[in-house]
Amino acid sequence: MNIEEIGFYKVAEFILREPPARDECFKVVSRDADAHEYGNFSEVARREMIHRHMANEMTSVDMAAVCVAEFPDAPWGLRMELARQAWDESRHVRALYRRVKEMGGFKGEFPVSTLEWDMTCAVDNLVGRITIQNRTLEAGAMDVIGALSVNFRRLGDDRTADMLDAINVDEIQHVRFANRWIKKLAESNPRVLMQMAAAIRFLTDANAKFQIKEGGEINAVGAQLASPENRIPAVNVDLRQAAEFSEGEIHEILRQAGFRSLVPREKTA
Amino acid sequence: MRMITSVNQRGRSIATFRYICVWMMETVARWTPITPEMEAKVMMGRHIWEYAQMADALGKRTFELRLPEQHSIAPVAAYDAFLKEVVKILGTAERTAAFYDGVVPGIIARFKTYIAATDPILDEPSIVVLQRAIVDLERQRVDAAELQRELKLSSGAAAAVAAKEKSIADILAEEKVAA
Repeated sequence: MNIEEIGFYKVAEFILREPPARDECFKVVSRDADAHEYGNFSEVARREMIHRHMANEMTSVDMAAVCVAEFPDAPWGLRMELARQAWDESRHVRALYRRVKEMGGFKGEFPVSTLEWDMTCAVDNLVGRITIQNRTLEAGAMDVIGALSVNFRRLGDDRTADMLDAINVDEIQHVRFANRWIKKLAESNPRVLMQMAAAIRFLTDANAKFQIKEGGEINAVGAQLASPENRIPAVNVDLRQAAEFSEGEIHEILRQAGFRSLVPREKTA
Repeated sequence: MRMITSVNQRGRSIATFRYICVWMMETVARWTPITPEMEAKVMMGRHIWEYAQMADALGKRTFELRLPEQHSIAPVAAYDAFLKEVVKILGTAERTAAFYDGVVPGIIARFKTYIAATDPILDEPSIVVLQRAIVDLERQRVDAAELQRELKLSSGAAAAVAAKEKSIADILAEEKVAA
């Protein structure tokens, strides 16, 4: 079943998927420079973070759903995981929207992006899709949410911290099922590994077209955004292990991050 | 009412119901990214998972009824064509009405008909699976009604779809006999 209603567009040499439908209240942007990331933890910055997260979760609902629709021949167990993911992501949207409103915000208050969809859903195979969406983007989000939850708690906002922590429980499972299924599929079909590699290459190259320019940029709300080489990805080793990345894979992720950010294990009582 | 007495007939009925649940899952999944309203996407996300669970439970039952696990059988051509027409409906209001006020009540009725026609002891596992599905489907209709109120969606498309659904009395396809 092809989603014929959603076509494709070209950026340089890359074919990307047309964005999913959004309420008219949302202004959709493609570059971080056009978003309203304030780069601090002021009241409006916190609200923007939660609003941005809500919009990203909405994109995740769309991505999981479209995988269910577009790959009817995928193993039933994997389709079940994707269907469950669609529900999880929709619950995340509800929880984040509830928090946005509690913080005095509203739907469409800040620009949103669907770029993750545009890139992920341009790939024509399911292994490539879950490699990008679950194993890369959601895994990265898992690291970020883990750190964000700690920051909100430090600021005394336990309600947001608890919500983010609960969301991350689901995200870990989304990354984990992708890791499990890719391993399982690769056992019977070595081509799976090539599909994974091609998807990662595509994501890296296509994403570069939208990244912050070298030397950094000032974004739409006047915040300084670091250039790509200075943007430090947080890598949470504990969460990566929980999501069943192998030790070798975690080392490779840390190497790519330049060992610049290693989130320490949280002390338990 | 014609009673359902053979294992073969039960297996084919359950496999046909599974086909319809997979169709519901795929249809709502297909509509999710092309639906602009966030509140509608949120509702659909939950329903996709519920259809998957219905299909999964029915698919486990097909195996118990001497068919392959997670086996589906397409319904009669007229019903299959009806389902394919529903997928093409445009617009959030029209889709919501057609699906939740047109298709779903018909499916609930078919599940209830099956429950009434099969043996309550010998086929109780099928009955339990269908009764659970009915609870979810009826709650989904409430979800949809709330969405329609919240977004002020009209329900004009429902009556024609419901009438079409009802006009196809028996959805079980003829069994193909090997030559």
